[in-house]
Amino acid sequence: MSTELRIGDQCLPSRLIMGTGKFADTATMIRSVEASGTGLVTVALRRFNRELVEDDLYGPLSELKTVQLMPNTSGAMDAKEAVRAALLSREISGSPFLKLEIHPNPHHLLPDPIETYEAARILVKEGFLVMPYVPADPVLCKRLEDIGCASVMPLGAPIGTGKGLTTQEMLRIIIRDSSIPVIVDAGLRSPAEAAAAMELGCDAVLVNSAVAAAEAPERMAEAFAMGVEAGRMAWEAGLMPTSEAAIASSPLTSFLAGRNE
Amino acid sequence: MTVPQPDWLDPTPWIAAAQRATPEAAAGALRATTPAEREFAVLISPAAAGQLEAMAQRAQALTRRHFGRTISLYTPLYLSNYCSGGCTYCGFASDRKAPRKRLSFEEVETECRAIKALGVDEILLLTGERTPEADLSYLLRCVKIAARSFHKVTVEVFPMPTDEYRALVDAGCTGLTLYQETYDPELYAKLHRWGPKQDYPARLDAPERALSAGFRFIGIGALLGLGDPLYDMIALYQHATHLQRRHWRAGVSVSFPRIQPEVGGFKPGVVVTDHQLVQFILAFRICLPTVPLVLSTREPAKLRDGMAGIGVNKMSVASKTTVGGYSEDDDASATEQFEVSDTRSTEAFCQSLRAHGLEPVFKNWDSVYRAETRDAQ
Repeated sequence: MSTELRIGDQCLPSRLIMGTGKFADTATMIRSVEASGTGLVTVALRRFNRELVEDDLYGPLSELKTVQLMPNTSGAMDAKEAVRAALLSREISGSPFLKLEIHPNPHHLLPDPIETYEAARILVKEGFLVMPYVPADPVLCKRLEDIGCASVMPLGAPIGTGKGLTTQEMLRIIIRDSSIPVIVDAGLRSPAEAAAAMELGCDAVLVNSAVAAAEAPERMAEAFAMGVEAGRMAWEAGLMPTSEAAIASSPLTSFLAGRNE
Repeated sequence: MTVPQPDWLDPTPWIAAAQRATPEAAAGALRATTPAEREFAVLISPAAAGQLEAMAQRAQALTRRHFGRTISLYTPLYLSNYCSGGCTYCGFASDRKAPRKRLSFEEVETECRAIKALGVDEILLLTGERTPEADLSYLLRCVKIAARSFHKVTVEVFPMPTDEYRALVDAGCTGLTLYQETYDPELYAKLHRWGPKQDYPARLDAPERALSAGFRFIGIGALLGLGDPLYDMIALYQHATHLQRRHWRAGVSVSFPRIQPEVGGFKPGVVVTDHQLVQFILAFRICLPTVPLVLSTREPAKLRDGMAGIGVNKMSVASKTTVGGYSEDDDASATEQFEVSDTRSTEAFCQSLRAHGLEPVFKNWDSVYRAETRDAQ
């Protein structure tokens, strides 16, 4: 088993975080969440429905004993809206976690770094464990760490595209420089990609479309759990270094043999 | 009379491309990594008609990727059928003998409660062209009433200037639906015989005025059956991409209204077959994978069920196209704007969606993201 994930003062049993949208029905979503072994799920405030039980995602998730809820602000166009949504979500859910999402373009859903930074500044002061969904920008990630975010959640590829770790080179820099958990959020399609993200040194991954749009969502959730676990164990075990060429049998520095080191 | 068209709107070269297209070109367009206008023209062409199944396969994968296995629901409420327009194809045109009715504010409340009881959380309020009976001040009060019950209130009403759109946003309105009917200016002039709707450019630019005023979602469409569908579908594609470029925060959706028989006995100018309609929807999904595509109860149950989750991800439910009608028993004498084909109840429709492995989504928005909430704080 790999080591446990800590976010702020919270310990989580799994390094897989699950999204809860896009499923064919709530029962499949709940079973997929359970199959994933996750301890943290995100749910959009706009899918809280206190008036119609069968349409509500919040109610059934809040009844799960093994997971904590992380409301998200999907739908917010700017910092002000995100702050309002965050405060309302906390009032309803009581969760300390907040997935800060500000993607003003509803088509590509890419995060607005300017509004996200502004909202994070306010929400950290409000006492949230702020987990911002961001472009894979190493400078932005450090700026968010500096103001007290609990983690950063850079994207692998645009939401829903399943294009994998297209931002890999930037992720390497973010991971190297970060003192808070780095969670790859969005763009993953396969458990192999989740494993690859973990092998890079990510602290966790968040998956939604890849599970919800799979032929058998529950099985895919379990497969992702295994991918994440394998990748993390591999990272903790220390991967063998890669090499561009074979090691020469007559090393160039052989003349140093026997001399003072 | 020729209406000067804006730079972004010129379907003619692509119509020619569509007419020249071969089945091989269609297969190629379907394989394109990032299909755009060129591929769209080929995919809606007669040459691609043989590719329908392959198009459906690609479309379904894209719909599932971007919208999941969900269908968002909305319900229309006709507030008034008073109209100053002279549309040849509409049962509410001002020369029609249809009995006129406007909901009182009490009736609007009752109707909202009845729709809310269906579970649907997105309401679309409709009027005709501007009249003294249904003007901006009437509409503002209706929006405010609806906004007390629904997280998402949208309108399909007469075009208006930016400041009036801003007043609607402030009243709690989030989305605007406005169909150009036909993008062909000459045909447009023939079909719209009098009234403010004769102003083609004012209608064409209205979505942009609404977006400038703070609307979040814009629904556009062309009424299929009026003119050359290739012209209108290519123009509609150009309109959608133009709006996305000019207003990068805007949510743009596309609807596919197809003309239905109505009271005035209007005969469609062209017949758009089920196969063609499906081909158009699939082409939009393939070329604009993140744009919500809408199919209303104008279409029969079988077609709606077939397209749900394949290309379409948003649908109206339990629609009545008479004024009011949700809170009382069906009034056979009331005049409909058009005939509803899919008359299933919310429950029956949702059951069918679920049987197809799709989740009906009743609430997909929150009033916390509304301008009136912004003002209150």
